[in-house]
Amino acid sequence: FFFVGTFCISASIKTINRHTMDKSITLPPDEIFRNLENAKRFAIDIGGSLTKLAYYSTVQHKVAKVRSFDKATKEAASDKLYEISVQEEVTARLHFIKFENAYIETCLDFIKDHLVNTETKVIKATGGGAHKFKELIERKLGLKVDKEDEMTCLIKGCNFVLRNIPHEAFVYAKHADSEFRFQTTQPDIFPYLLVNIGSGVSIVKVESEDKFERIGGSSIGGGTFWGLGALLTKTKRFDELLQLASKGQHTSVDMLVKDIYGGSYGSLGLTGDLIASSFGKSATADKEFSKEDMAKSLLHMISNDIGQLACLYAKLHNLSRVYFGGFFIRGHPVTMHTITYSINFFTKGEVQALFLRHEGYLGAIGAFLKGAEEDNPNQYSWGENYAGSSGLMSVSPDMNPMQRARSGTFDMLEMDRLERQLVNLPLLQDPSSYIPDTMDLTEDALAREYWLYCFEEALDGVVKRAVASQPDMPEAAERAEKFRQKYRHKLQTLRHQPFAYGSLTVRSLLDTREHCLNEFNFPDPYSKIKQNENDIALKYYQKAVKSLEELSWEERQFALVRGVLAGNVFDWGAKAIWHLGLIYLFIFFSSERPWLVDSYDQWLERLRGPPHKCALFFVDNSGVDIILGVIPFVRELLSRGTEVVLASNSGPALNDVTNGELQILTERIAAMDPVIQAGLREDRLTLVQSGSSSPCLDLSRLDKVLAQVVRERQTDLVIIEGMGRAIHTNYYAMLSCESLKMAVIKNSWLADRLGGKLFSVVFKYEVPAGKPSQGSAAVTPS
Amino acid sequence: IFFSTSRHTMDKSITLPPDEIFRNLENAKRFAIDIGGSLTKLAYYSTVQHKVAKVRSFDKATKVNIPEAASDKLYEISVQEEVTARLHFIKFENAYIETCLDFIKDHLVNTETKVIKATGGGAHKFKELIERKLGLKVDKEDEMTCLIKGCNFVLRNIPHEAFVYAKHADSEFRFQTTQPDIFPYLLVNIGSGVSIVKVESEDKFERIGGSSIGGGTFWGLGALLTKTKRFDELLQLASKGQHTSVDMLVKDIYGGSYGSLGLTGDLIASSFGKSATADKEFSKEDMAKSLLHMISNDIGQLACLYAKLHNLSRVYFGGFFIRGHPVTMHTITYSINFFTKGEVQALFLRHEGYLGAIGAFLKGAEEDNPNQYSWGENYAGSSGLMSVSPDMNPMQRARSGTFDMLEMDRLERQLVNLPLLQDPSSYIPDTMDLTEDALAREYWLYCFEEALDGVVKRAVASQPDMPEAAERAEKFRQKYRHKLQTLRHQPL
Repeated sequence: FFFVGTFCISASIKTINRHTMDKSITLPPDEIFRNLENAKRFAIDIGGSLTKLAYYSTVQHKVAKVRSFDKATKEAASDKLYEISVQEEVTARLHFIKFENAYIETCLDFIKDHLVNTETKVIKATGGGAHKFKELIERKLGLKVDKEDEMTCLIKGCNFVLRNIPHEAFVYAKHADSEFRFQTTQPDIFPYLLVNIGSGVSIVKVESEDKFERIGGSSIGGGTFWGLGALLTKTKRFDELLQLASKGQHTSVDMLVKDIYGGSYGSLGLTGDLIASSFGKSATADKEFSKEDMAKSLLHMISNDIGQLACLYAKLHNLSRVYFGGFFIRGHPVTMHTITYSINFFTKGEVQALFLRHEGYLGAIGAFLKGAEEDNPNQYSWGENYAGSSGLMSVSPDMNPMQRARSGTFDMLEMDRLERQLVNLPLLQDPSSYIPDTMDLTEDALAREYWLYCFEEALDGVVKRAVASQPDMPEAAERAEKFRQKYRHKLQTLRHQPFAYGSLTVRSLLDTREHCLNEFNFPDPYSKIKQNENDIALKYYQKAVKSLEELSWEERQFALVRGVLAGNVFDWGAKAIWHLGLIYLFIFFSSERPWLVDSYDQWLERLRGPPHKCALFFVDNSGVDIILGVIPFVRELLSRGTEVVLASNSGPALNDVTNGELQILTERIAAMDPVIQAGLREDRLTLVQSGSSSPCLDLSRLDKVLAQVVRERQTDLVIIEGMGRAIHTNYYAMLSCESLKMAVIKNSWLADRLGGKLFSVVFKYEVPAGKPSQGSAAVTPS
Repeated sequence: IFFSTSRHTMDKSITLPPDEIFRNLENAKRFAIDIGGSLTKLAYYSTVQHKVAKVRSFDKATKVNIPEAASDKLYEISVQEEVTARLHFIKFENAYIETCLDFIKDHLVNTETKVIKATGGGAHKFKELIERKLGLKVDKEDEMTCLIKGCNFVLRNIPHEAFVYAKHADSEFRFQTTQPDIFPYLLVNIGSGVSIVKVESEDKFERIGGSSIGGGTFWGLGALLTKTKRFDELLQLASKGQHTSVDMLVKDIYGGSYGSLGLTGDLIASSFGKSATADKEFSKEDMAKSLLHMISNDIGQLACLYAKLHNLSRVYFGGFFIRGHPVTMHTITYSINFFTKGEVQALFLRHEGYLGAIGAFLKGAEEDNPNQYSWGENYAGSSGLMSVSPDMNPMQRARSGTFDMLEMDRLERQLVNLPLLQDPSSYIPDTMDLTEDALAREYWLYCFEEALDGVVKRAVASQPDMPEAAERAEKFRQKYRHKLQTLRHQPL
């Protein structure tokens, strides 16, 4: 059975002594060493206590494809717009597995037995243990061990995760609402300082992909904590030492400033509680000191020292980003806290201590990349697969004893190669401060509770939908059940460890669900519903356009906006069949202005001015939304002389219209509507894919082609539609051009949060500061 | 008498040889005391009556009037009493503080003195005792200010105050000539903890950094690891240990050097790294050595980084952790050389233990304006730097635990550089350095010893009218011979 990506391989494993190589462990092969059949490019990083294995594999996935019916065969087919087929697609995936060195032999045996691909001849190896286990690996796997430089691997790995994993780096704040504050991916990750705390400490300045230098180091590191700790407390286990430390009081062992001066040393700015001398009290006192107190004092001593060294090197080299990694950190809250404290103390906030979610994997990732250079992995973008990854654990010993036990066994990270390279939207006002998500659920406990509950409640419906989407497959029910278990477990984990995958957000909850669905071969549960909705909506298209054309210019502008909003009411797989009654109800509601957020007047004023050069429109749902809401709106823009770029999802997510579907829909609409047809023909209406398969929108990870088109066409208006893209994400996003965010709040809790009611309308038109609205030109178009 | 008492108890039965340690107490004023974690340093200012020989031309008038009475000498010689100023500094273990205070009280005849300047971490702890015993008001002075003041004073007034330590060189100590401009410099004071102070001028300094890993850490962790409670014994253990059995070296991890990073195999990768996993027992000596390396290296690295960050090339080390211990000076020097590749020099001070006391004294004596004078070390009244290498001089070692003295005479006139020196900073007056040249040293020490009898005779002969001259000359002979013997063993 599985256990959220990390595997408590059956009861037997928990009882065995981790210090011996127990060959009797039976690993659940499919769950840990996944996709071994096609594995290639092995890499291994053997540290002092943990082994990290990396390999590249291909995964066969079912994907739903849409295709226009062949004109010739159209008569034979039903009256459906397009045909849906499920195809097998092969995608690339990186697997990383971390386990204790004690299991290495067992793991190697297992891998050997399941390696069917004999093409692989070498295994890249790095880490201090690489030379110790070289012979064993070569004998067991029959692969030649090819040693790679440890530091090079570490840096390569670090660059890779910083570039490819959103929310990889975080700031630790013990007393804040949320312990972890995740950083958004920076467009430019260099230069930075990496402080790697293994047995000793290496301080490395990284200036570019290939340029780094070990500028310093210290012998006072994790090994010192462990070694001195073992001597002082007779406790041999590293984790136990940390546990002791977390319970201790350093003040009984350390000599504080106040112990010497009776208080603070004001003229030097030293407070009384500052440690003047680590272990200073044990020099003269004749009493016995508790193990806990000594361990705590030792932890403080080492963390403070490393913190100070890191600061000094950062200052000396003018670096403001300092990442900490190595086994001494390994997510231990006590350690992260003392290091953060020390950095803050020494730099007065000028330098931030940053930690990495996947720091344990850096060496393995780097070694893998060294071996895979001919595949050129850096030319692709990669995304963390939430379904296959264990996630970050708080290893605070007191907090989660269950999770704690888990960390001793196996931990996994999986990354999917994304089809296309992802970049920032060029129109972001400040890419480095852009945060897609509106609400950080790691910080807001109340909101977290609510959304976790929501997603749990909705799970039955999603499972039903998934089963229903594959009526011809008898095992669908079984797979759906597996999906349910996996996703429910993820939700439970997130309830205890909200920061497991970076900041917990509605977006990450949605994305995790999509990843889990894909994992169990439900690539597009809504494909048939979308098809159906599109079919029906299309029938009303001409009628809708005609009635809009009959309106006056001003009436029409308002009707177009309400059309988009009304279409958007049907979202998120709400109802299988839309019924007009609800639409009318909404239209009735929405006619009452002012809306919850209402800058319609400014928008209208702007429309009286000169046309925009080009509008980028991030669309939302299939059916009514896209066909009767968005397309007429787009049509009006085109008529004004504005070019339009329609950006839709690359892959399926809920009932959102995908790029594939939208291609077919626009073709069909073009056949009915000369305005759309002319737009397509004259290349004034362009369809691009967003690069995403999420119901939300991360403007810092968009398809490279989209960015290019946006730049070429001098886009000066960005329209974002729907709750997922304009409320859950991007509500506060600042763009360097005009933007319009339109959504209907279809969740009463959220409406309440924002001070409105269910079905409240958000219509947010913004002009960046310094760019005067052009509406004042007041040119009324004919 | 002294040496038999336990240093850890306050034994009141110690009888101090008053004239030898607390000299000139009768005229003492401006007391200052610096009480550290283990040592007390007392300073006072006193006046000394000295006989000086004066020459004077015969008065023209008298010469004419009584030509018969006067000889045909060019000028007349007379011995006069002259009063000169002298600074006394005495260092002793805190255990003796009460006894010392009692002694001082009994011999303080000058009642003008009302206050005693006090500094050091122990100042507030012993405040009440001092006030009660001496009847003086304790006036606390800022520790760091005193330290810096003292440091500036010795750097300016004592030639060969600062030295570089080189364990394997012909001469362990290489003394620096006094620099005309002593600023700016970095002072790394290693007491229980470490303070790193940037000194830019006489009055301008800033504590730019510090560390909790200092002498107290060596002592405290050392005591826990080895059950040895004495600081000096810990150092002795360390000097006999092998750190490689406890520390994880680069070669223990990589099987050799880590060439691409420029790390040699013998470099310590992780202090105490081997004790993390090994199940064996480690010897006290090895653990003490590893600890000493760990702390010295760390302080060395911090000092270098602060020096670089503030563009300072002179770094002085002081505090009880150093206290002239060769093992410590060696590891710190090694660490500094390693981290700065020779760009920064680790400098130690002969009188580092006195800095705080000197500074506190100067604070109190500011109205006397001691900085306007030049001061000279009085070799006769000062103990001098000792090698405290435990194996080398067990006798000297024992002494260091008790009393140590420094006396400085105020010079009548202020001394400066000859303005015509080509390069004052590289000027060395002495042609031959006997500390570096063992053969020459042997020869000259022998010479001076041989000449001693002659000098004694000459001295006695110079004072034919004084019957006790012979006795004094004998005292001179003993003292100078002892100095020569000391110099034979401790050329520094």
